[in-house]
Amino acid sequence: MIEVRNLSKYYGNRAAVDDISFDVQAGEIVGFLGPNGAGKTTTLRILTCYMPATSGSAKVAGHDVLTESMQVRSAVGYLPESVPLYHEMRVREYLRFRGKLRGLDRAAREAAIARVTNKCWLRDVIDRPIGQLSKGYRQRVGLADALLHNPKVLVLDEPTVGLDPTQIRETRSLIRALAADHTVILSSHILPEVEATCQRIIIIHNGKLVAQGTPEELRERITGETNLIVEVRGPQAAVADHVRKLGGVTDVQAATHDGWCRLTVAARRDVREDVFQLAVAQQWPLRELRREVASLEDFFVKIVAGARAHDGPAARD
Amino acid sequence: MRNIQAVMQRELLALFCSPIGYIVIAGFLLITGVSVWWTDTFAPGKPATLREVFFWTPWILTVIVPAISMRMLSEEYRSGTIESLMTAPVSDFQMVLGKYLAALVFYLIMLATTLLYVVLMGVYGNPDWGATAATYLGLVLIGALFSAFSVFASSLTANQVVAWILGWVPLLLFACLAFFVVRQVEGVWRQVFQQVNVIGRFDDFSKGLITTDGITFFVAATALFVFLTVKVVESRRWR
Ligand SMILES: Nc1ncnc2c1ncn2[C@@H]1O[C@H](COP(=O)(O)OP(=O)(O)OP(=O)(O)O)[C@@H](O)[C@H]1O
Ligand SMILES: [Mg+2]
Repeated sequence: MIEVRNLSKYYGNRAAVDDISFDVQAGEIVGFLGPNGAGKTTTLRILTCYMPATSGSAKVAGHDVLTESMQVRSAVGYLPESVPLYHEMRVREYLRFRGKLRGLDRAAREAAIARVTNKCWLRDVIDRPIGQLSKGYRQRVGLADALLHNPKVLVLDEPTVGLDPTQIRETRSLIRALAADHTVILSSHILPEVEATCQRIIIIHNGKLVAQGTPEELRERITGETNLIVEVRGPQAAVADHVRKLGGVTDVQAATHDGWCRLTVAARRDVREDVFQLAVAQQWPLRELRREVASLEDFFVKIVAGARAHDGPAARD
Repeated sequence: MRNIQAVMQRELLALFCSPIGYIVIAGFLLITGVSVWWTDTFAPGKPATLREVFFWTPWILTVIVPAISMRMLSEEYRSGTIESLMTAPVSDFQMVLGKYLAALVFYLIMLATTLLYVVLMGVYGNPDWGATAATYLGLVLIGALFSAFSVFASSLTANQVVAWILGWVPLLLFACLAFFVVRQVEGVWRQVFQQVNVIGRFDDFSKGLITTDGITFFVAATALFVFLTVKVVESRRWR
């Protein structure tokens, strides 16, 4: 449904998007993840035909964004990051105006407005001027506008920013429900958000694609680095020394608190049983022994930090 | 077509929802009203013509018309609404034309209010209907040109006030001062100022002198600025 090939966008001679390629299949929900300034909004703006790319190509719903811009625009519903709306218009007036631009005739327009009013919980504010609405309600008006013409592809730039927790949950389930007959690409810099709604995650940083895959696939890439947390009562130096000698252990960090020695053990294999046997043999009471499963959050932080370290020297020359 | 109409309707709605629309109409009525009184047009025994009443109108329009359309594109840029407009299936040309037509329709409504003076003139005197019609044709053409230039000015900046200034300063300098300058200069410049001499051209109209040259100038200049606006809007995408 979306095909992006070697896409780059330069502002002056500064790359905001740098040679990105990815695909989105029909019916997929894809999360676009990256820290501030990563180039998410820029990429989405190219996909929605707001601005042309400097180089590379992109196809949305089978049409090229540059040469078949009108077809792409008809197929896409877009919620821009800043949710721009005409403050002097009433919600209904605004949706009517957008419906006209979308080429809906009067009957289809009114039906569409009724549908999105329901879906986006707008019934209470439908006749109020947009300028008087709270941020969350404006966000919903923007979302309603994006859904108005029942587009094949939905492009949502940070759709849940500014919503209250209940609304965030409802918006997420709305987005998941939409995936049945829409393709959704949404951006965010909050990982749990993307993890909760998306089937696939694309991580970009400094305009470069640094990782992509399902949440499970991404998590798998870090299970090799699982840490073991051990808490025993014993002399710190001796405990750390014995654990370090266990086969497969690569790193041990120890700290003592109230007589309990807390170890963080990195190992290439599962050493939980060995640690237990060791504690028994040495008669050290053992009160905690667990594997710390790295979260995607850690993965994200690591990837971004890694990309940063990697970029550092390159940016200087 | 539907797109152009949708954009136009929205602009007109915005004009009539904001104080600026009413201020502009009230100001225009006040100034023309004062000039009717000042020139003593309806005094018995005077030749019944609106030439004197409307003599200063192009000067007033240089300030007033840019106020009508100053926010049409600048405000879209400032508030970011241009992003949802330019990602909807509307071509840049349709968008610009819709906005331009809204400015023109608003101007025509404003101009229509002055028909009251024509009615009064018909009641109290024996007006020269041909010259009056030609005067109105001139006013319509001036409004069409000034509106196009003002929408163009609005596309150049994201600040309404700057757009207003970018609208009236060149209009005043070129279109109106040319009326005086044209006699002071020689050669090529004389030809240039003769061409852009809007006041002089309007004066011909108000004498009842309609020329193809006059109409061609206004229509061509209007089309040029609508075209330039489309180009500016297009080029802004590349930034
Ligand atoms: N109009 C512009 N002119 C110049 N530089 C820009 C412009 N828009 C964005 N940039 C730069 O391009 C880079 C990418 O910006 P972009 O808005 O795409 O980031 P983002 O991932 O959406 O960030 P955020 O999470 O803050 O929304 C940034 O470094 C930004 O400064
Ligand atoms: Mg962004």
